[in-house]
Formats: sequence, structure tokens, C-alpha cells
Amino acid sequence: MVQFLQQLINGLSIGSVYALMAVGYSLVYSIMNFSNFAHGGVIMLGAYFGFFGLTLLKLPFAVAFLLASFGTLLVAIIVERIAYKPLRERKAPFLYFIISAMGASILLENLVIATIGPTFRTYPEVFPKTPIELGPLAIGRLDLIIFVISAVSLSFLIFFIDKTKLGKAIQAASYNVKACALMGVNTDKVILTVFGLGGFLAGIAGVFFGMKYTVYPQIGNITTKSFIAAVFGGLGSLPGAVLGSVLLGIIETFVAGYLSSQFRDLIAFVILIAVLVLRPTGIMGKVTEDKA
Amino acid sequence: MKKVLFAALAVALVLAGCGGGGDSNVIKVGWLGALTGDQAVWGENELNTVKMLFEEYNAAGGIEVGGKKYQFEVIGYDNKGDAQESVNVTKRLTGQDKVVAIIGPNASGNAIPMAPILEQAKVPDIATVATNPKVTVQDGKVKPYNFRVCFIDPYQGAVAAGFAYDKLNARTAAVLYDVSDDYSQGLREFFKINFEKKGGTIVADESFNSGDVDFRPQLSKIKAANPDVIFMPYFFKEVALSANQARDLGINATLLGGDGWPSDQLISMGGKAVEGSYFVNHLDYADPAVQDFKSRYKAKYGKETELNGFLAHDAVLVFVEGLKKAGKPNGEAIAKALEGIDVQGITGRIHISPETHNPEGKDAAILKIVNGQYIFQEKYAAQ
Repeated sequence: MVQFLQQLINGLSIGSVYALMAVGYSLVYSIMNFSNFAHGGVIMLGAYFGFFGLTLLKLPFAVAFLLASFGTLLVAIIVERIAYKPLRERKAPFLYFIISAMGASILLENLVIATIGPTFRTYPEVFPKTPIELGPLAIGRLDLIIFVISAVSLSFLIFFIDKTKLGKAIQAASYNVKACALMGVNTDKVILTVFGLGGFLAGIAGVFFGMKYTVYPQIGNITTKSFIAAVFGGLGSLPGAVLGSVLLGIIETFVAGYLSSQFRDLIAFVILIAVLVLRPTGIMGKVTEDKA
Repeated sequence: MKKVLFAALAVALVLAGCGGGGDSNVIKVGWLGALTGDQAVWGENELNTVKMLFEEYNAAGGIEVGGKKYQFEVIGYDNKGDAQESVNVTKRLTGQDKVVAIIGPNASGNAIPMAPILEQAKVPDIATVATNPKVTVQDGKVKPYNFRVCFIDPYQGAVAAGFAYDKLNARTAAVLYDVSDDYSQGLREFFKINFEKKGGTIVADESFNSGDVDFRPQLSKIKAANPDVIFMPYFFKEVALSANQARDLGINATLLGGDGWPSDQLISMGGKAVEGSYFVNHLDYADPAVQDFKSRYKAKYGKETELNGFLAHDAVLVFVEGLKKAGKPNGEAIAKALEGIDVQGITGRIHISPETHNPEGKDAAILKIVNGQYIFQEKYAAQ
């Protein structure tokens, strides 16, 4: 039982980081119907921004944290302007967007390798490493903080989408971009907002990831997992992305903890394929019908 | 006008002379290793060392081989820490650059797949810190063109197991290892065999995959088994991450590792989590024999050398001795000459056995991490 609860805690702590990353994929997918693979690069930059904010500029943690989030917000918007906007204006096929996204992702990774260097770096200790002990259970302080901040920021995001005018516009655009534009909604602004929101959360995810593990140029690779989580939960659905991430985190830890870590990715991918076969839209995905 | 023409002609002649190759008095030496990725710190350190040493030889007028003075050119390529890329780079070094020998790589997983290409091209390779037995011997047969200057995993695993049982009085041990890495697999296997032979029990045997950053599920299982020591035979990045996470989970067992540990990054990243841990190493950093090289490296590059630098240093020494003994800059002759060669390196006496191409009987050093420093404990030879 102790083992079970401890593994559950481990799973939630991974799942909450996946969730922060996954909503970025989901947001962009809901409007533009393609997977923004450059998102991983943006997360990686977030980790570096936070790291340099803390070490080089010696900022207090909260300030470095905000610097990283707003930094990646900016980067995400720049990526959109340079890599996607020209394609949008030319009404390019979706495949081109995906290729452009992959290009942007490789570019960001190599930009960091060339300028900052390929070695990994470690965040200074912001929160004490001693765990909170609940009887035989151990909860890392950082894990708890990550979990709480992730939950708060995801709730804010869902509140923003549900209750604000711009949020409504995003919802409308996710339903049908063209019709939305015909109704007088500035879809360009909607797209920028979506990238900005995704970028902001990517910064948070990057800083947390860096603090929890380490900072290196290939962080973006880990987002494959969050992408799977987003598909699993239903691409385009925010609660779906969160649910998918938490579930994936828990499944992974249980497989690694009770079976063997060799089977972990195997089982994660089998579940992904199974979900897509049985429920192509994911657990909570929106149903998109061909508008013929 | 005439003058210009003459100058141009002279330049052309000089260039033609250089391109001639055959009578050139420049010997090309290859190097490969990771210049990007997790192990870039080590790769950069090795390449720096190799370059520095050959620059020193060149500045001293070169080396006399078979009655003729030669200068050296080092050609280093990035293998990205990847097995496939190592094969590509080896092909390039032997086929295109026509090097007479190759130094590196440090990782066993990268060194093992190079063998067929080396054999085809008849170019010897001297691996630095590649400790897996298969680097030089496969299926009981020695690979004719693969050599190394470090001790091997069975030895390292036996040393770690013996030290844990005899000196740390550990009776139960857990192992966490990287299932996708030859080096890690090898160490784990030989640690297990030797620890059990001594009379100890392996209470948990957990694995992860290269690139993983979260080890909590496996560590939670290890915690439940409550071992005296945890053996972590993998590289410093994962060591630091898993050590931190182990302490996060409230595990207080002594951590034990191999030569994948030593790095400045381990201390900066692992901090308190790795305090009091022990690992098997190739040398003692305070040994007087290594001080001269350490200070030369620091003077040239402005930072401390990593472990790899010491072994890259000895690999170069062994190569140069082999070259002198061969009497001609020819890969096949150098490979022959390396067999049975006996060189006093800074990491110890290196006597390359003709049967295994390993330096037989090299001592291992046990180091402990105390206040962020590597403190030498003792020289330990496994029985």
C-alpha cells in the first residue's frame, strides 16, 4: 500500500510537468490543426532563461520565473511570426506547417548548442531538498510546489478560455477559423494569443523541468511524451491534455515500478495506439467532422 | 608582373608539395568522441589533451620514426556519443583522412561497433575509458586493431563488489543500471556476480533507459528493499539525478559507482546527495605522477582536466611508443608494435597484453566524495 501511494505521488509529479507542456500542443492544435513541434524548443529555452536569470543575473526566484515565462511567451510569438505566419498567408497545406515546426525545433536546439554550449547545467538549490515525510511516504518539496503552481496556472488558463472575450474568440476559432473570421473576429490576434499562452506555460514547464532535473539543449525531446499525452487526452481539448498527461505520468511510473522500466515506453505507446484505434479523438477530444 | 607570376608559381609548387602525401613528413592521427550531448565535457577534454600533446611534440621538433623526423596533425570528429555516428566518423577518418591510428572514443558502446571498419582499413584504435570487455575481445577472439589503456568492467565490477563487502561491510546491495548501455550492463553483471560470490545478497535489480531523467519509480522499489549500498554504474548526469531523487525519497544508503562518476558536474549537480559516496576510478587525482599534466592542461585551457584527459594522455603515449617501435607510419605496423608494449603512463604502468589488448594488472583507486572533493581512499586490486 505504501509502495502504491509512493508510486502514485511519483506519477502525479511527472504528470503535472507533462500537463504544462501538453496544453501548449493542444492550444495550437485546436486552432491551427497541426502539431507545433517547435514547442519543445520553446520549453528548453524557458529552462535556460530561468537558469540564467537565477545564476547570471542573480534574480530572486519569483522574478527569474516570470522572466522565463514572459521570455518564452515572446519566443513563441516570434516563432509564429517567422515560421508559420508566412505559410498561413499563403494558405499552405498542413504538412508544410509540420515541416516548418520541425525545422524551428531543430533550429532552436542547435542555436543553443552553438551559443550556450552542449553541456548540461544545474539549477541552484531554490527549495530545500529534504522531503516532507508523511509516515513512510516522502514528498519532494519541489514536486509539491510544481504540482500546486501547475494546477493554479492550468485553472487560470481554463478560466481565461471560458470566461473572457478573447477566450470565447479562441473557442470560436477552434470550432471553425474561417467562419470565425467572417464573423469579424481578428483571427490573427487569436492565433497570437494562443501562441503567447502556450509559450507562457512552456516557460513555467521549462523552469520546473530544469529545477527538477537539469538543463540541456535536448530537453525538447522529452516533449514527445507530452505530445503523446495531448493526443491521448484528445488533441485540442485542454482538460483532455491535462487528464492525458496525469494518466500517462501515472501509467509510466506504475509500469516502471511494478513491471520494469524496459516496458515503460513500450506500454505507453501501446496504450496510445489502442486509444487512437478505439477512440480516434482521444479521451476528451473534440469531434471534427469533415465540413464538406 | 614577372615577380607576381614567380610568386604564384612558388605558391603552386609549395601547395603541390603538400598535396603529395607519399613523402610527407606529417603523420595524421585521428580522434573521435562526443563533442555534443551528455558526454561533451569529456569529449572536449580528450580532444584538448590530444591536441595539446601533439602540439608539444611538434614544437619540440617532432618525433623520429625509422630515422626520419615527423610532425603530427590531429583530426578530431564528433561522434555525438552515438554508436552509428562513431561508425560513420571512423569511416571518414580511415577512408578520407587516411589517419595512421585513432585515439578514443571513451564510451564502450561507441568503441565496439568500430572494429570491422578498423580491420578493413588496417588502422589501430586506442580507446581511452572504454571499459567493456567487448571493446577488444569478442567471442574469445582478440580484435586485431582495437586497444585500450584502461582496466575493464569485470575488474571494475569486482573491485566495487569486493570493496563494498569487505571494506564497507555491506551485506545487501541494490543495483540501478542503464539497460541500453553496454558499459552499464557490464558493470552491473560483474558487480552482481562478485557480490554474491562474496556472500552478499542483491535485494533489488532495477533498470532505466538512456535519456531518462526520472528514476523515482525504480528508486521507490529500491527503498522498499532497504539495501546497505546502491550500486550506480552509469554516467555522472544520471548519477546526480538519481542520487538527488534517492535522497528526495528519503533513501540514506551509501551510493557506490564506477569510473563514469568523476566530473566537476557531478559535484555541482549532485551536491549533498552524493556526499559520502564511493567510486572506483582509474587514478588518484593527488598522485604526484599526474600533477605535471594537470598543470600543463590548466595553463593551456584555463580549466581543470577531467578524468578522460589523463587516459587520453596515456593513449597518446602508448601510440607514440608504438609508432617508434613500428619504425614507419603505417597502421598495420603500429598495430603489431602495440602488442606487448610496456609504457609507464601517468595513470600507471601500461603493459598491453597480446592476448587481450588490455593493460593487464592495472590498479584501481577507490575515491570518496567528502565536502565536494574526491578523496583518495586506497589502491584496491580485486582478487
